[in-house]
Amino acid sequence: MSSPTLPPGLAIQKADERIMTLNVGPQHPGSGHMRIVVQIDGDQIVACDPDPGYVHRGEEKMAEYRNYTLNVPHLERPVIHDSCNILYPYVLASEELLGLEIPERAKYIRVIASELNRCIYIQYWLAIYGIFLGHSTMFMWPAGDRELLIDLMEKMTGARVTHSYFIPGGIRNDLPANFEDVCLRQVNYFEKRIKEYADVFYENPILISRTANTGVLTRENAIRLGTTGSVLRASGIDYDVRKKEPYDVYDELDFETPVLKDGDSYARSRIPWLDMMESCRIIRDALQKMPKSGSVRVKLKPNPKGELGSVYKRIESGRGALGCYIVSDKKPEPYRVKLSVPSFRNLIAMPHLLIGEKLGNMPSIYWSLNYWPVEADR
Amino acid sequence: MGTATGIIKALNSGIKHIALKRFTLRYPEEKLKFVGDGYQFDPSTGVGIAGLKGRHMLFHDHCTGCQLCSIACEGVAEAIGMVKVPEEWKQNKKSIMPQIDYGKCVFCGLCVDACPFYALYMTNDYELSSFSKEGLIYTPAQLAVKPSLDQDVEIQISSRGATHG
Repeated sequence: MSSPTLPPGLAIQKADERIMTLNVGPQHPGSGHMRIVVQIDGDQIVACDPDPGYVHRGEEKMAEYRNYTLNVPHLERPVIHDSCNILYPYVLASEELLGLEIPERAKYIRVIASELNRCIYIQYWLAIYGIFLGHSTMFMWPAGDRELLIDLMEKMTGARVTHSYFIPGGIRNDLPANFEDVCLRQVNYFEKRIKEYADVFYENPILISRTANTGVLTRENAIRLGTTGSVLRASGIDYDVRKKEPYDVYDELDFETPVLKDGDSYARSRIPWLDMMESCRIIRDALQKMPKSGSVRVKLKPNPKGELGSVYKRIESGRGALGCYIVSDKKPEPYRVKLSVPSFRNLIAMPHLLIGEKLGNMPSIYWSLNYWPVEADR
Repeated sequence: MGTATGIIKALNSGIKHIALKRFTLRYPEEKLKFVGDGYQFDPSTGVGIAGLKGRHMLFHDHCTGCQLCSIACEGVAEAIGMVKVPEEWKQNKKSIMPQIDYGKCVFCGLCVDACPFYALYMTNDYELSSFSKEGLIYTPAQLAVKPSLDQDVEIQISSRGATHG
């Protein structure tokens, strides 16, 4: 039985003779604080209850006290590695409320920044996936190659991680001189590097034997549970917001969205890697089609007031469809900002995937869901 | 593909990397070079000029003490406070100028965007560590000093891989 000094649920306790309740977390089971309560029979998981909410920061409430521009720095904090993408729906929605028309060049630069940021996020995710499986090379390589793109973002935005780059009205600053050449060179080299991951990681028989056929999410269940992003596409459903509801200039760019049929942990880990190659393609295409000069930002009045009404916008982030709903009541501050985050949607699938699996497979299944605790709690 | 072939391919990929150059940046000895003098903002066009968002620099001869930077920071980090300066400036009747607490600053640069008089911009200086909390508070006099930097390393890409050199 549990010790009387600990609150119920925090102690290791025996439910009966065979089944034991075990807490994984809340101190960093992966990245960010969340707890997974698993019931194990020997080495096999019989029940699982994910328990998010340890890093709730009240971002949505904070957004009700700041004007549309000043909301930018704090709204990117839930996912600092993907900070351009988490701002994207907020910026699109507030532009519609404020009635702004964005210059063409700013739209292309936003797409480039968003795709670079997606790669940065996926590399970080992949590094942790590697170390979860005990593959230390796959921790070092993505973490190192990520530096190439962070360097580009630093040239572009002036910050390595929290960029505060997108703003209602366009982007904060124009690209530096000869950025196109540097970007093309580093992205080409980056693409060459990520192709090398195939030999050492994705086609490695040891990895395949550990991740294939674990945590299988069928096509029907993926739809029923409402998963998004890489989890949905790994289960054989071709759904990507960039294709289905193109925002900014995605309808003018040439790219594909990778889809796999297996729905296991291996397929879910492979989709983001294929996504990165498509991102490199989008960046090259956007650099070519981008207007070479022109305005990048619409000048705003001080404290602009939004029109009466509400707007919902969605984008495809590194984890899946990310939505933002803003209600405005003709004040400089939004009346309500709601972030609909992909991490929380994908977490719903976890209890279904873990049942019947070995406890040792839990890290690979947990992280293959592309779950980011801080974003889910926001 | 057989298990043995797969493992040999993985090992071979690792062996190929012995010949590649080291990508690591040896930080305190080498410092990465950044674009331009730092982040600046042009209020007439409403667009920023690319550069690193590091420590601020304050031009005393432009600052009018209008507090717009401080108002912008209230919604972000509350890092900027207005303090009295001993000197007297013609354009600054109240003799107040921003003082920045880098324990709170998030380096978003919205204060630079808010300044209509080109008085504030951000430099490439990012080494701000201090042994005390008071050491992180930069007075207007400290902010007026242009940082001396020796950042000269850039990412180089050759056939033997990428390096910092």
